[in-house]
Amino acid sequence: NFFSILKTTTWFEEHLTEDNQEYMRKTMAEEYRRQTAEKLNPLKDEPWQRHEWTEGSRRVGLVAVKLGMAPIWTKTGEKHAVTMLQVQDCHVIKCLPREEYDGHTAALVVGGKNVSPFHRSEHYMEMFRNAGVPPKQKITTFKVSDNAIIKPGTPLYAAHFRPGQYVDVTAKSIGKGFQGVMKRWGFKGQPASHGQTKTHRRPGASGPGGDPAKVFKGKKMPGRMGNIYVTAFGLKIWRVNTKYNVLYVNGSVPGHRNCVLKIRDTVLPTRGSTLLSPPFPTYFTEDEGDLAEDLYDDDLFIHTEPSLTLT
Amino acid sequence: MAACSRRLDKFIVSLRLLRNLQLQNERFLSTSVCRWAPGNDSEPPKFIPPSKPVIIDKTQAVATLRKFLSPEFIPPRQRTNPLKFSMERKDMIRRRKILNVPEFYPGSILAVSMADPNATGKINRFVGICIQRGGKGLGATFVLRNIINQQGVEICYELYNPRIQKIEVLKLEKRLDDNLMYLRDALPEYSTVDPDMKPVPFPPTGEVPLNELKVKMRPKPWSKRWERPKFNIQGIHFDLCLVPKQMEHAQKWAQPWQEYDMLKEYDTSKLEQQILSEVQQEMSK
Repeated sequence: NFFSILKTTTWFEEHLTEDNQEYMRKTMAEEYRRQTAEKLNPLKDEPWQRHEWTEGSRRVGLVAVKLGMAPIWTKTGEKHAVTMLQVQDCHVIKCLPREEYDGHTAALVVGGKNVSPFHRSEHYMEMFRNAGVPPKQKITTFKVSDNAIIKPGTPLYAAHFRPGQYVDVTAKSIGKGFQGVMKRWGFKGQPASHGQTKTHRRPGASGPGGDPAKVFKGKKMPGRMGNIYVTAFGLKIWRVNTKYNVLYVNGSVPGHRNCVLKIRDTVLPTRGSTLLSPPFPTYFTEDEGDLAEDLYDDDLFIHTEPSLTLT
Repeated sequence: MAACSRRLDKFIVSLRLLRNLQLQNERFLSTSVCRWAPGNDSEPPKFIPPSKPVIIDKTQAVATLRKFLSPEFIPPRQRTNPLKFSMERKDMIRRRKILNVPEFYPGSILAVSMADPNATGKINRFVGICIQRGGKGLGATFVLRNIINQQGVEICYELYNPRIQKIEVLKLEKRLDDNLMYLRDALPEYSTVDPDMKPVPFPPTGEVPLNELKVKMRPKPWSKRWERPKFNIQGIHFDLCLVPKQMEHAQKWAQPWQEYDMLKEYDTSKLEQQILSEVQQEMSK
């Protein structure tokens, strides 16, 4: 039997007058500001105990937005390309202690980039209501050691990472749609001339032949390409701007402009950040005091210095 | 001259005297300014030391007073956050406060000194005609072309590269096109610039001189088909190298609908004014 269910979904503006729509939008913006301000005040909202860094502890990462790319120069005159990532409204949303998560490590759910509550479901809004934080576009989980858990609702800033540190950036790569085998897997195709009949970009043979008499699972074939999570490992941080919360990260990063990414400390063993002593569990504005507006790596050429004379 | 503000008539007389006394390198010496007035005999003249001589050095470039915004400041039409452009602009202004980047156009003759570990005296000086200005933001570049020992040389310099020590404009002028890549196929005399050329003085106000030179080309084949309308070149003398039939044949590649395409319109006038005022404000700080 087939039941047709009357759809009662509607968008938030449908049954509201124009004045009410404006009022809703304004109140939403004010509510966000009030919530973020509340979280910054340590008296109203008691923070949890902050532990010290120990060997083998992992700390939280951030959620950022990819702004674009720019060139930078080192003190020896070499040019490198960097990607600018801005940390927009990053808050810790939920803390999952070791027992709840998987029994081995604790986890922290972090969200970034505020978004309107009107087009999100009630189920999605529930966890933000519990944390007292405006709803976010992207939420990710970070596996964290027990001494690095942070109270839900604390804001995270770009100064959490310091210049000279290495990070891994995960994001959804640009979707290319249904693509052929040459673009998707890099096959060579066939020659353009010399008698080829209707075969220039085809995959060619699909397996060994009569012995297996089948095509193996996972055979590279045409299909949807892109729009999958890709991680770029071991990217150096050249510069951190604390005023606008922008990180300058070496090289290119997966994703299109204005896409939301997940940044965490490297898992690569040769690029550990033990020497730098970054803020643990995270950077708190009242702790560190006033950082300079721009933090630069030692090898980076700052534009306020005089021109380089290579001697 | 500022010392004597008391006697205005004597001031004017001394000005006239000074004009007569003006020397070639314009040293203003005001020893003759404060003349002793005939009426006042009660006190002996107080010794007023002569004011320091004001030397105006005309060999140094004066900052331009034309409203010129370098093309790399104008952001391209993209879906990028304007914060990214404003941060790049701040870095560009910081660099411009250290290195004076003068106003120049494709067609001007520039001399660039760059630090080079392999050069004698560690600094490399190259003089050439600017054939192209490309790139936006910190990656802005310009290409200089010259012919040295009968070999054409083109060097692409980055404006914000920290190794650049000095950029001098030896001759400021504009040409009929923005892109002078056709000089590669023109006769070598049009690309030769004397490396020891003296800077030609140009006024900081007024219009930039437009050189309406039509260049003679080498025989075909050229590196690109410059007669085709997509390049829109005004600066080549086509009558000397092409037959009218060839010109008509080139018009087959014309795309006359492009000028009416509204989606290709990108009006930068308001953006330019805003950015120009911002840049001028920051530079004067």
